[in-house]
Amino acid sequence: MLVTWRYRNRKSLIQWFDPRAWIIFYLCFMVCTLFFWDLRFLSFFFLISLVVLITAGVTWKEIRRAFIFIIGFVFIYALLTFLTGRGGVEAYQHEHIIRSMSAPFSIFGWRPTLNISVERSFFAISQLARVFSIAMMTILIPYTLNPSLYGITFRGLGFPDKIAYAMDLTMRFIPTFGRDFQLTMDAQRARGYELEKIRGGLIEQVRKLGPIFVPVTIHAIIGSEDIIDAMDLRAFGVGPRTWLEKLTYRTRDRILIAFGLVLLTTSLAILFLGYGGFWVPEAFIRLVGG
Amino acid sequence: MNKKLLGVAVALVVILAIFLLVVWVGGNVLKIERLQTGENPVLRFVFVIVGLLVALVIYLATQQSKAWEVGTREVVWMAIGAALYAVFSWLFNGTVFVVPSISQVALRPAIAIPMFFGYAFGPIVGFFTGAVGNMFGDALTGFGLYPQWSIANGLIGFIAGLPMLFKDKKKSLDSVLIAGGVLTAVAIVLYFLNRSELNQVAYPFDQPVSLLAGISILIGFVLVVVVRFVFGKNIDIAAAVTWGMLGNILGIGFAAISDIWINGYSPTTAIVGEFLPAAGPNLIFAAILVPLLVVAYAAVQRQSGR
Repeated sequence: MLVTWRYRNRKSLIQWFDPRAWIIFYLCFMVCTLFFWDLRFLSFFFLISLVVLITAGVTWKEIRRAFIFIIGFVFIYALLTFLTGRGGVEAYQHEHIIRSMSAPFSIFGWRPTLNISVERSFFAISQLARVFSIAMMTILIPYTLNPSLYGITFRGLGFPDKIAYAMDLTMRFIPTFGRDFQLTMDAQRARGYELEKIRGGLIEQVRKLGPIFVPVTIHAIIGSEDIIDAMDLRAFGVGPRTWLEKLTYRTRDRILIAFGLVLLTTSLAILFLGYGGFWVPEAFIRLVGG
Repeated sequence: MNKKLLGVAVALVVILAIFLLVVWVGGNVLKIERLQTGENPVLRFVFVIVGLLVALVIYLATQQSKAWEVGTREVVWMAIGAALYAVFSWLFNGTVFVVPSISQVALRPAIAIPMFFGYAFGPIVGFFTGAVGNMFGDALTGFGLYPQWSIANGLIGFIAGLPMLFKDKKKSLDSVLIAGGVLTAVAIVLYFLNRSELNQVAYPFDQPVSLLAGISILIGFVLVVVVRFVFGKNIDIAAAVTWGMLGNILGIGFAAISDIWINGYSPTTAIVGEFLPAAGPNLIFAAILVPLLVVAYAAVQRQSGR
């Protein structure tokens, strides 16, 4: 049995557009966001993703789990950047220290030190905006993309029939395998297997993952036979494929694609002109007496 | 079909040329700083094309082989492999399940999936499993877009599937093993010459690569050799592990080396700080989990008579 994503027909901005147009826009958006480390540009993308989230028509109840997971993840990620200063090393050379805290103990001669600097804080904020924008746009896709349109969407984006169909199936299988994994976990737990308490050396640990890894994989492969039979019986791949649903670009879809492309070219131009790198407001540096 | 593919290849080369021209003109002639060193997001897409071209060239060279056929079964296997890879890498990436990582060795058991699917069902299935699975896995986590890593994962599955091109799987094994051994030795030597290099892929960041992470590739390689000779009678296990090893080294190597240009790493940082801590643990997982999968799958095949 297949488990599905929580798609419903909603009154939302995303679903107002053709899925192909949305995917193209999404890709442009993602690539553009990746170009920038400058908070001024990033806040623009952040704003777009916020508008999309608010108008998506998903209820808090539906999105709660995924949302909390992603937000937690994004925050932990940004916090780690903030604490270790990693990632920023390439972006800035000088740090203007606001406060330096150092632990009163040392571990193996290493004293945990926390340097709070303007650059570090801004880098963490920029990263937060960047990752959050991308994450929001991404988790909304399964909620707003009609499963019966997966195949034709990928086909419409120029993939060959078979690849489009494989992508379609991939999207459909993901939640199912997530469920299967959970079931297998529970079954193994009932027999006394505890993934949370894997001990032993490296190799021992790896070996102990087998009881969960192998059944899920093999079960998926065995289960595939039914799908293969069903597809063969419907003469999959014998002739050129036709799709049940039809997608047509409307004016608004063309506008959305054009917007995405304009965004992309503008971002590229900005990048080539040398802007968009990491940015710290002068005022803050002056504030700490830089 | 063939003409179409050639068209795709030509188009890719043209796009690649344009990209490189832009980067070269922008970086060297117009002196745009962002295109010279440091993080250069444009180049990510260059390496996607490079990776695709590598796969395409191998395909064009051995077109006649049956390994390249894509029927109903392959389509479904591709989808299953990619979905499994996405789910596993999402679950095990340290956010949902914290599989304890021992002194900087990040545990990514999911890597066995593209290798196994590549080996069992052919290079195309392997490539799709790795590339699309990694893409969806990253999307599930809300991570950004690292297309060159998706292609690198694709190449792992692709290379793991190459033994299908050989009539006699035994013949190629030793040369693959030697190639893997040489690459491992080079990486290890580089590691011992640059012990202070910082680890770029595993927590805690900003620490020098730990000894375990540094030599994990050697441990993995030794495991592969052990599996190859102890279970050598079962040619499937031996071939799957050996080719998976080569795929892992070349695939992760491809991604790490591309970071010399994309992230502005020095070659030693790319190999010691990125390649070793990523490829080494992968290899350990591959050496243990891939044989388990091969054996389990063989049992299923016997049972169902397929």
